[in-house]
Amino acid sequence: MSRKGFDLFDLIKKVLFTDFVKGLTVTLGYNISKSITMRYPDEEKWIPYRRFRGLHTLNRDENGRELCVACELCSKACPTGCITVIPEENDSGRGIADRVAKVWTVNLVRCLFCGYCEDACPTRALRLGREYELACADYSCTLMSRDQLLVPQPVPESIPGGYVVKSKLERTPQGIKVTVDLSKFKKRSI
Amino acid sequence: MPDIATLLQVLLIVVKVGVVTMILFGLPLPLTWLERKVAGHIQVRLGPWRVGPHGLLQPFADMIKLLFKEDIVPYKADKLLFNLAPLITMVPAFAVFVAIPFGDSVMIPFINKEVTLYISDMNVGILYILAISGLGVYGLILGGWASNSKYALLGGLRSSAQMISYEVAMTFAAVGVVMMTNSLSLVEMVKAQSGSFLSWNIFYLPVGPVWFVIFLIAGLAEINRIPFDLTEDEGTLAAGFHTEYSGMKFAFFMLAEYVAMVTISILAVVMFFGGWNAPLEVPVPIPPIFWLVAKAAAFIYFFMWIRFTLPRYRYDQLMTIGWKILIPVALVNLLVTGFMRI
Repeated sequence: MSRKGFDLFDLIKKVLFTDFVKGLTVTLGYNISKSITMRYPDEEKWIPYRRFRGLHTLNRDENGRELCVACELCSKACPTGCITVIPEENDSGRGIADRVAKVWTVNLVRCLFCGYCEDACPTRALRLGREYELACADYSCTLMSRDQLLVPQPVPESIPGGYVVKSKLERTPQGIKVTVDLSKFKKRSI
Repeated sequence: MPDIATLLQVLLIVVKVGVVTMILFGLPLPLTWLERKVAGHIQVRLGPWRVGPHGLLQPFADMIKLLFKEDIVPYKADKLLFNLAPLITMVPAFAVFVAIPFGDSVMIPFINKEVTLYISDMNVGILYILAISGLGVYGLILGGWASNSKYALLGGLRSSAQMISYEVAMTFAAVGVVMMTNSLSLVEMVKAQSGSFLSWNIFYLPVGPVWFVIFLIAGLAEINRIPFDLTEDEGTLAAGFHTEYSGMKFAFFMLAEYVAMVTISILAVVMFFGGWNAPLEVPVPIPPIFWLVAKAAAFIYFFMWIRFTLPRYRYDQLMTIGWKILIPVALVNLLVTGFMRI
């Protein structure tokens, strides 16, 4: 309480509860505004931008040949040493060169998703994709092998991302899975 | 041997009491849901969503949880008082509804009998309500005392001090309404305000709005809601007087709190907003009870709205508002009302 003397304006403000009314107007505005909660995974799912660094993916070229030449640069660049590459000689046309990866695994418990591996990759075979639902009940999903990473991810490269799409949570005996409908999307309301 | 008419009269009262009690027991279910929804949307969240459509079944889930929770009595607590306190809080909260009128008389269609929509039209109804609702604080104090916990004891002490301070201002507001309507009976009060909304007590210028503000602030303090919920101030007192309570006993405290909120809402409507009178003449026949319920619902929303807008007052601020502002203003207003009623 300031002792600056009698302030008529202040008294009128107090009698008319102007500060209370201001506060109540603000909260009423929020009350009738739309909620920003994303109903993931039941109804909505956020599709990240291309720059997002999620689960690794190994790409193929347009003829279906593996782009990876097993040069091991990714494993050299990795700060945590979580990528294991064992090369082998294969001239059956599986890869773009005669040298292909016999083993290509990434330990997702170690990985810190820094993206150095994709920077190091000379053939753009390795990308950090947009898959981020990596949880599982045991250690089975922490070691991702070449066969699993060669499968194209549900969000293709052509989609720019950065919006919300409709999704559905499916419960199966194998576990739960979020399926998305990429045909329709909306910007996130803020 | 009483005759058949008297027996019917008694039966009717028993039925009315039963209906009102059932409604009051069921009322916290939608109110908790509404409170959490309002909280959610004011904070730009969704509120309850997963149990049932729009989380409508959430109160039932909560009720089942509370029913099956372990009933803990703290070590060295006063067992009898600890078990009795929720009842002492709850019974006055329900007993108040004996005097509260929900409407005038209605014709029951099949038996062709006129039934009044209040249990009893006491000629001192407002006095009865103030007296009985003041008893509820005993439960809070005893619960806090019997818990053998510092937090609970401090909460109980605070609630008693708060009740004493604000009961005075609230009674003054009631006196003002009594002076404006020339009656202590709630039914008479509503009848005095019949007509358009300009004859409501809130528009009894210049004193009506002031009485209403005094009543509303004192009422908020009486029912221990933010900004005056010093008794269960989680910042300093964990949960105040019900820190040690769990399960159904806690639910009884909550029930009493919600019923008190409904009581204050209905009282505000009856005393200042014309009770079941329509604000304007409407061509369509709308049952009068609709107006009472709608106005009371607006007040309940207002209490929730204010809860998620204002911060809590400090303890000394609470006392300053009660003794240094509300009571002097009420005294001056009493004088003005007296001069206006000569």
